[in-house]
Amino acid sequence: MTTSTTETTPVIALPGRTAALLTGLGAAATAGSALMPWTWTSEYPGDLTFYGSPAGLQWLALTAGLVTLVLLLATQGVPGLRWAAPRRSSNAVLLAAAGAVAVGWFSVISIATDLGGLAHLEPGGWVLAAGSLLALAGSLGLPLDRRTAVPLRILDRRLFLLVPIAPVVWFATHAVPEDKPVAPVLTALAGGLAIATGGVLLVQLGHAANSWLRLGTVNRPLPAPRALPSWVEVALIVVAFAIGLFAITFGIDTEYGELFTGYLLLAASVVASLGRSGLLPRLRALTVKYQTVTTGAAFAAAASFPFTQTSDQYTSVATNILIFATVALGLNIVVGLAGLLDLGYVAFLGVGAYSAALVSGSPASPIHVQFPFWGAVLTGAVVSMVFGVVIGAPTLRLRGDYLAIVTLGFGEIFRITMLNLNGTTGPKITNGSNGIPRIPDLEILGWNLGKPTTIFGFELGRFSNYYLLMLLVTAVVVLVFARVGNSRIGRAWVAIREDETAAEAMGINGFRLKLLAFALGACLAGLAGTVQAHVSYTVTPDQYTFAEALPPNSAFLLAAVILGGMGTISGPLAGATLLFLIPKKLEFLADYQLLAFGIALIVLMRVRPEGLIPNRRRQLEFHEADADIPAQATGDTVALSKAGA
Amino acid sequence: MTALLEVQDLRVSYGKIEAVKGISFTVNQGEVTTLIGTNGAGKTTTLRTLSGLLKPTAGTITFDGQALSTVPAHKIVALGLAHSPEGRHIFPRMTIEENLLLGAFLRNDTDGITKDVERAYGLFPILGERRKQAAGTLSGGEQQMLAMGRALMSRPKLLMLDEPSMGLSPLMMQKIMATIVELRADGTTILLVEQNAQAALSLSDRGYVMETGSIVLQGTGADLLHDESVRKAYLGED
Amino acid sequence: MHDLPQQLANGLILGALYGLVAIGYTMVYGIVQLINFAHGEIVMVGGFGALTAYLALPGGTTLWLALPLMLIAGILVSTLTAVAAERFAYRPLRSAPRLAPLITAIGLSIALQQLVFAFYPDAKKARVFPKIPGDPFEIGSVAIQRSDIFLIIAAPLCMLALGWFVTRTRSGRAMQATSQDPDTAKLMGIDTDRIIVMAFAIGAAFAAVAAVAYGLRSGQVDFRMGFLLGLKAFTAAVLGGIGNIYGAMLGGITLGLAEALATGYIQHLPGMHLFGGGAWKDVWAFVLLIVVLLVRPQGLLGERVADRA
Repeated sequence: MTTSTTETTPVIALPGRTAALLTGLGAAATAGSALMPWTWTSEYPGDLTFYGSPAGLQWLALTAGLVTLVLLLATQGVPGLRWAAPRRSSNAVLLAAAGAVAVGWFSVISIATDLGGLAHLEPGGWVLAAGSLLALAGSLGLPLDRRTAVPLRILDRRLFLLVPIAPVVWFATHAVPEDKPVAPVLTALAGGLAIATGGVLLVQLGHAANSWLRLGTVNRPLPAPRALPSWVEVALIVVAFAIGLFAITFGIDTEYGELFTGYLLLAASVVASLGRSGLLPRLRALTVKYQTVTTGAAFAAAASFPFTQTSDQYTSVATNILIFATVALGLNIVVGLAGLLDLGYVAFLGVGAYSAALVSGSPASPIHVQFPFWGAVLTGAVVSMVFGVVIGAPTLRLRGDYLAIVTLGFGEIFRITMLNLNGTTGPKITNGSNGIPRIPDLEILGWNLGKPTTIFGFELGRFSNYYLLMLLVTAVVVLVFARVGNSRIGRAWVAIREDETAAEAMGINGFRLKLLAFALGACLAGLAGTVQAHVSYTVTPDQYTFAEALPPNSAFLLAAVILGGMGTISGPLAGATLLFLIPKKLEFLADYQLLAFGIALIVLMRVRPEGLIPNRRRQLEFHEADADIPAQATGDTVALSKAGA
Repeated sequence: MTALLEVQDLRVSYGKIEAVKGISFTVNQGEVTTLIGTNGAGKTTTLRTLSGLLKPTAGTITFDGQALSTVPAHKIVALGLAHSPEGRHIFPRMTIEENLLLGAFLRNDTDGITKDVERAYGLFPILGERRKQAAGTLSGGEQQMLAMGRALMSRPKLLMLDEPSMGLSPLMMQKIMATIVELRADGTTILLVEQNAQAALSLSDRGYVMETGSIVLQGTGADLLHDESVRKAYLGED
Repeated sequence: MHDLPQQLANGLILGALYGLVAIGYTMVYGIVQLINFAHGEIVMVGGFGALTAYLALPGGTTLWLALPLMLIAGILVSTLTAVAAERFAYRPLRSAPRLAPLITAIGLSIALQQLVFAFYPDAKKARVFPKIPGDPFEIGSVAIQRSDIFLIIAAPLCMLALGWFVTRTRSGRAMQATSQDPDTAKLMGIDTDRIIVMAFAIGAAFAAVAAVAYGLRSGQVDFRMGFLLGLKAFTAAVLGGIGNIYGAMLGGITLGLAEALATGYIQHLPGMHLFGGGAWKDVWAFVLLIVVLLVRPQGLLGERVADRA
């Protein structure tokens, strides 16, 4: 293995401080553009004509510009700002500038296409486009951490055959008369070939850019932080979570797809650049130091979300995110900790939801009882767990692959059975495809969650109430995950996941522990299901499918775990939030949403199989070659040293 | 003596861990050459690299005048290098005869193949008696014979044997070692990897001692057999 | 019980269809230990390939002439898709942890479905597939649809050809060797990458045959047809003993018979009158799988060989 060497050099050589100057100028222009009108009509969503205060996308440009500027000054060593970039890496500036370009150019292009032409841009738009580009170009002249050589990768040569073939097919298909039934099919085929050709060229271009930029990482250890009084450190954590709450609230509250896209672009670049600058790692070190404070702050931030909302519109979104995220975390016990692939996990959510619906007192339920809340929760969790044991017991003794298919089958059986128990094809229990409607609102200790409540002068609507209740459930699942994950059982799960035979040789009862993981996962999903039934008023079979455009479903749950990071707590929570918000906010993707999802899974497995927030142990596993395993001690006592006699 | 195989400064790594740290050695035409060393010395890694199952990180391998390090495993056999892997690795759900025929996978001279199958049965009569039996049902020693027989089926210029005596009874081991002598007499060049230093060195023309990825000692078989440090380290003498 | 012969015939025909698809799962699993989750979608694209060929032929072409061309087109599309998937999605992950290729397979399955859904004209709903016209054949009390004749002829031919290929040809022996010990197979001079591609390709070709049979039977193809068919076929492969090609067919037929019998007779069992008929057949199929796994975890024809992994 050849370990690549690194250097710190600019990509574009510029004299003296020109690079920093250009970057700063560009960043300032980007930020400043937010104070100018971008377009002259108020037709573009958010109204960017500027009435004394930035609006919509302008806020994002302002943030991007400021972050770039602050990071630039910090890496240049300006006193008072150095905290922002403890690692002094100019790559952080480059990442932030790239984010500014992404946000800026997305805005400009989106305005031009929405309104029909560049003529709709006002000077602010031009300043934004030019300024962000200037910042990016300037930052390429900063001393960047780079690899000394990146050989140019050329794709499989046969792929380039597409380049001549695609146009030939294109013209050939247009020669087919349009009234032939096959004509539309051929047109689609030609289009597909064109897209594939574009993709091949784009990937090749990416390889070329990579070998030109040669960006890499130089090992820059975090300098020891300045000693601060502990109350300041705690205050820093609180401030960080407050900013986090603000950022997430902003994302959930975005009213139109353009703003959400811009938000995602900005968020990705800010997180990447602050991670690179060393600010985020430093914060992470603080959260490790004050774990209780961190957990408290996280829940306080989450709990204060309803209080930031004026209507129930987005609290319902947030409630559904919580349900989805909680179930994903439950699945993470099964998949991430114990390594059991469950492809029908959503069925356990369904079992919990149906159980709760049946005992909720809904007039559509054949069982005319109304359990109190705790009774319903218990019923849902226990019934779900029983199903978990029934499915798990026969299959967990076998090789892991069988579990995948049996759980997938179980997911389908559950849906089909719920459809069939409608009185004509089976006993009348679930009303088939109509589901169980009119599930009454929960009442806990005399508090009806369906009615608005007033706390500290804030009026909380129905969804806010359920949000707070669901947050409690999430807390339970997080607690279970954290406690079990770090216990003897958790370590045994990891051992089984890595090598079952070896684990059993150590005296671990693989089957019993796997069953425990499986049943625990089922139980937690059932628990979430009981709340879900009440939140959504109605339970129907098609809420619980394998793959569907809207979460939660088994494929999306699994994706949330894998995208977020297996075996971690924050990973699935982040993954679930993203996977819920993206389809919700970007409805223009409608027909292509699942397609994009499928392709994203394939690409993700090739580039980053360990997920967004990797478990440290996992990362070692996936990137063995880059990991910092100290080289095997060499030169230990050699009995014979007459080499080369 | 002409060199059939020449290895120069070979390095092999598993991830960041280097298992073979720049070794050089030569195998001469018509000789038996032995690599000895303890567990984890890098002997098996070396053989697996020679046959293309692992890719070297540095160094050159020249076999019969051709550079090997970038040739894929399945093409190396065609060049005349056969490898009988550690742990035998016969195909358990195929018959003995099918196993032997797979050894001749790249040949298409039907008559020659039939003749060579018979030669293998001549070398190991027990295999001939059970030719239609599934190979997985054979004993360890019989499986070893089959693995050797199979490797010979490609009519190799160089036969590499990895731990042929592993896990065998003393009687069976003697039989295997006698076969190696017999093969050498027929003119087959052999690269042998062994932990059983005594038996291996006594029938070798040349020997190399490997330790934690490096060659620490080399010489003729007889020299090494009488070398004090080898006797101490590998033959259990004080 | 007077309709028993009819139910058995239905079960056999359905089972042969499952078996053809199951071959694809079993071959790929036998060689690379991968559940090629997207195999159901390979069937589906084969169906659409065949449909495209049908649409391209001039209006009045008889089905007897069209069928071979449709079959060729279907096989072409399925095989190309499967080989491309192996090359660009699975092969780069060959040394990755076990979960990674499985996720890739799920992604591939969703992507292929959605590609057809979004881009094949009018594929948002099922598209009409030609049927062989004419009254069913009556043999005694058993009626067999004319469209099923294709499957009745094709399935045994495919099995015979595959059996001959695996045991009698050089490539077939190489395939066996690769599935038993891939590293040692390389030492024999076998290009295992080629063998893996071959396994994907053969499975895909069989999938296309199954797709045409499915289209003829049901008179339609749709972008979701691969999901349940694939699920059933994988179940059949596991039932028969995964990795064993004859097991795949046997498992398919067992599953088909079980479904037919469950559809016809479960409701006559005491206390079960509400759980019979077509609505519950999928449920019984999976119950059968779980029961078989409990009693005989290695499947009907599987050998209890110590796991290499």
